[in-house]
Amino acid sequence: MIFESVKQTVVAVDVGGTFTDIVISADGKITGFYKVPTTPRNPETGILDGLKKYCNTEISEFLHATTIATNSLLGQHGLEIEPVALITTKGFRDIIEIGRQNRPKLYDLLFERPKVLVTKENRYEIDERVDVDGNILKNIDLGELRKPLEEIRKRNIRSVAVAFLHSYANPDNELKIGRELQKVIEYVSLSSTVAPEPREYERTSTATVNAALMPVTSGYIRKLDNSMKNFGSPSLSIMASSGGLISAEEATTRPVQIVESGPAAGVIAASEFSKLIGLKNVISFDMGGTTAKAGTIRNFEVEITSEYEVGGQSHHGRMTKGSGYPVRFPFVDLAEVSAGGGTIIWKDAAGALKIGPLSAGADPGPVSYGKGGTEPTITDANLVTGIIRDSMLGSEMKLNKESAKDALSKLGEPFGIAGEALRLVDLEMARAIRIVTVERGIDPLDFSIMAFGGAGPQHAARIAEEIGVDHVIIPPEPGVFSALGLMFSDWKYESRISYPRDLQESFGKLEKKMREKFPHAEFLYYADCRYSGQGSELTIPVGSTDVKLKELQDAFEEAHMKAFGFKLERKVDVVTIRIFAVIKRTSPKIVSSEHSDSAGDNRTILEGGKWIEARTITRHSLKPGSKITGPALIDEYGSTTYVPSGWEASPGNNLEIHLRRVR
Amino acid sequence: MASWEIVAKATEFISEEMGVALKRSAISPNIRERMDHSCAILDTEGNIVAQAEHIPVHLGSFRIGSRNIVSWLNRNSMILQEGDMLIVNDPYISGTHLNDVTIIAPIYFEGDLSGYVINKAHNVDVGGPVFGSLNPSASTLFEEGLVIPPSRFLINDKVNKEVLNFITENFKDADTAIGDLNAQMAANRSGIRRVTELFRRYGKAFVHESWNKSIEHTNRLSLLELKNWNKGVFEAIDYLERNDEKVPVRVSLEVKENGIKADFTGSSDQVDFPINAVIGVTYSATAFAIRSFMKSEIPTNEGFYRVLEIIAPEGCIVNPRKPAAVSGGNVETTQRVADVVLAALSKCMPDRAVAASSGTMMNIMMGGRRKNGKFWSYYETVGGGNGGRPTGPGVSGVHSNMTNTLNTPVEIAEKEYPLLFTTYKLRDGSGGKGLHSGGDGVIRGFKVMLPTKLSIIADRFKVTPSGAHGGESGKTGEIDIIHNGEKKEMPSKFSFSLDSGDEVIIRTPGGGGFGSLPHRQ
Repeated sequence: MIFESVKQTVVAVDVGGTFTDIVISADGKITGFYKVPTTPRNPETGILDGLKKYCNTEISEFLHATTIATNSLLGQHGLEIEPVALITTKGFRDIIEIGRQNRPKLYDLLFERPKVLVTKENRYEIDERVDVDGNILKNIDLGELRKPLEEIRKRNIRSVAVAFLHSYANPDNELKIGRELQKVIEYVSLSSTVAPEPREYERTSTATVNAALMPVTSGYIRKLDNSMKNFGSPSLSIMASSGGLISAEEATTRPVQIVESGPAAGVIAASEFSKLIGLKNVISFDMGGTTAKAGTIRNFEVEITSEYEVGGQSHHGRMTKGSGYPVRFPFVDLAEVSAGGGTIIWKDAAGALKIGPLSAGADPGPVSYGKGGTEPTITDANLVTGIIRDSMLGSEMKLNKESAKDALSKLGEPFGIAGEALRLVDLEMARAIRIVTVERGIDPLDFSIMAFGGAGPQHAARIAEEIGVDHVIIPPEPGVFSALGLMFSDWKYESRISYPRDLQESFGKLEKKMREKFPHAEFLYYADCRYSGQGSELTIPVGSTDVKLKELQDAFEEAHMKAFGFKLERKVDVVTIRIFAVIKRTSPKIVSSEHSDSAGDNRTILEGGKWIEARTITRHSLKPGSKITGPALIDEYGSTTYVPSGWEASPGNNLEIHLRRVR
Repeated sequence: MASWEIVAKATEFISEEMGVALKRSAISPNIRERMDHSCAILDTEGNIVAQAEHIPVHLGSFRIGSRNIVSWLNRNSMILQEGDMLIVNDPYISGTHLNDVTIIAPIYFEGDLSGYVINKAHNVDVGGPVFGSLNPSASTLFEEGLVIPPSRFLINDKVNKEVLNFITENFKDADTAIGDLNAQMAANRSGIRRVTELFRRYGKAFVHESWNKSIEHTNRLSLLELKNWNKGVFEAIDYLERNDEKVPVRVSLEVKENGIKADFTGSSDQVDFPINAVIGVTYSATAFAIRSFMKSEIPTNEGFYRVLEIIAPEGCIVNPRKPAAVSGGNVETTQRVADVVLAALSKCMPDRAVAASSGTMMNIMMGGRRKNGKFWSYYETVGGGNGGRPTGPGVSGVHSNMTNTLNTPVEIAEKEYPLLFTTYKLRDGSGGKGLHSGGDGVIRGFKVMLPTKLSIIADRFKVTPSGAHGGESGKTGEIDIIHNGEKKEMPSKFSFSLDSGDEVIIRTPGGGGFGSLPHRQ
């Protein structure tokens, strides 16, 4: 495959749980796609090993999707966060612990909340108060800071968060404290800087998560920068959760915005590819080893949400409120289900067949990997039913079909069990898609599904049937598609103000501030609005800083009608306005690649309870204009596309495969 | 051929989707934010096939309510036709309190009645003398709000104006109520549509068979759970507070191979005070406690409910005769029923014992006139300490047992209401001491900036949340009012007129401790 691009070497790296995906483009051509093992504790080691092996030139640009922030917060892979301190308004010390008072599980007496990020002895109060209109009711006496600072330094705490009531309306008191802290503390995170919007718990949580991530993110980026010295010290950009790249410096000062870096890259890849093939409504469906993620692209644009909990648990794809740390920052709207190739198939005490949420992950992995896994997984089910082959293209790894069959036999007749388990997992994933469509007021029937990730193409058509969608797209290189997405991304920086007194003036102020920093940027404007008294807001895109309040209110009412099916005779409040500065990167353009003919062997597969012969071909041998009638299997490096009976596959103009339902 | 597991799971998802449809289109924050609603799918007999988990207090009351409604229809020879929906809020039929309005609709497939969809949502005001319809001084149901008997709200897809008019003329915020009722009907419609899809795809007979199998499977799973439980009779008693009087709630729990019998004989007679709990509430709280003691994931359907038998003499506080007042029964007595059943279960299985949690929802109702003359009204509950557990200390500042709603953020409350908060933090040391201490309660203090009428329905001001295995009790709740500069200690249930500048300081109870403290050397 060849890309026309800028005449420089660009490297895109997406670090996943199991594999680190690397895409390299040099002098306008993509020179390679690679998968190397992830080294979770020190991700830069895996990246460096991969680059040493596959990239022997100077790099001009390094684009990166990382899981360092999430893994540190969750305490995974031996990563952890340092203790942080928090300074609050007097009388409101424990907001970070009380949260919203709810518990994440209803019927579990032994429920636990996520571990509180700041222990009680590290919370300090300052006698100050700002009211809802931003009037200072109580000024700060900086002398009050002396004792807390002594203690903080005695405990060797390097990072401090400050969150005062109503600081989004008037940040003066926070800024005063911030200036004092900065003299002696390495990392300072002010709630009015990180997330200037109302709701004290969510803002405090965002500032605290940010404070907790600053040391680890800075350390990681420093190490990464050092490792890149041998490659000519390329400029480093990181994918933010909102689906735009940000500079390394922005990532170190507001690391809270990179927690969903990887998943965002996948959706951005889908949205950019949808532009390329001219398909405006697409459901992006990314299924890997442990999770599946669904997002929507409407009119070529990704959907953004500002409600998110980092490290939260989801229940069949819906985020369980109170199970993680709220972060108020724009996120690509995703539903995630714990269903992937590694999902374990089991039976409950009374003998009902179940899948997940336990996963064999990458280690030990599915039984057929022969790495010590003993419980059958979805990959094992796909293997024994013939959907995937026992030797993957481009890989030396051989899957053991017999051991997969034996493991499934423990649950009953192995092929029947495998077939049912696959249907259950498809139902679970269809659920994730229904959440981002039906539950957001969108009819999935108006959409096509774009499926990627190692397991996505195996399941895509079956899930489409489950939902009633008739068109599926398998993009080129589905196994490393997220990394490819980084190549297409622009830089995007965010700034916001809450309760703007004058809409146009406030937008103007925001734009001026951003233009000073990014003189060549284009701007995107948004306003979070709600009916007076409502509990949550809708994000409304706004054309320019000249927007009239009336126009915005009308646009909100229309969006409300679309999402919820009714309007109200009520005042519309503008809660937060937001600007993105967008700095365009030159996107590579895909041109056609060489085809090599090679016919595969046919496989016998289990479909609808019957064994049938399925035609098998390799993806590279697909000829333009050809049509493959299901049942068929299209194998390629890192993935297999399953074309069930009643479906037809045909290659598109941009190396994608279209699957269409024909009956 | 598909397996029953697939149909059962798809049905479960439909009930959840109904809940989302309801939440998405509802207007009142109580439903949208606090998710004070539940949805379920019933077979033609009124058995629950699948129920979405939203709020515990609706858990078992739905089972009682659904059956009552279906048998009421049969008794009155009323047949719901396609396009009809029935509305009811009579707590003595639908099973909680007047605020919970239930709407049920039949599912017809190829001309035959093939099931029902049902949902229940807490409407913020259903009429009566006080805002919010939770009246601390009600002595009968008639002082709480409008009683809606089972009535056809929708006939052949058209709203029955006569019923609607009764509602709009009685509910204080009729616009919000209409919006919420529309949302409830929308939820039922989405349920009907999706269940019909299931019938079409898998065949009605197979869907019905799968539903039965799913119920049987849940029943089997529940009985398997009980196999490991100690058998016998376990007793517990705890109290509610009415002025200076202690009102006993007593349970005798018999754990058998084939089920659990909870006998509430010996509990107080019903009272002329809004703390009577209709049998649906008693059923819910009992089901909650038992479900929480089970280790495996039990689907919420008839198969689980079938394991429980409740005995409560008619005319007692946990099974009152109409027209006893019941609004507080749904929010406070429900907690006490859960407390006594959990205490009895803790005796049955000492290794799973937990200490008592705060045991009150601390309901705050207030309102008044703004400077522009318009009324404002505010409803909030405040969490407390969770009891110590065998695995570790209780959680602080959390909603326990029968409720799980969200707080109103201070910054939002100050924006919407004439309030200035003075404190919102944990009440250090309020959790009972023990090997694993109880969680701490919450201190929430605020000043009113305009004259305000305040009502409180709370409990646990005199009887402490008890510890387990030698742990100490948690502290009781307290409310102080600084009225014109003078401090007043308030009881657990009262109404009071606050002057501008008055401050209210609420301290919620801590949880009981678990296990005795190690002896000092």
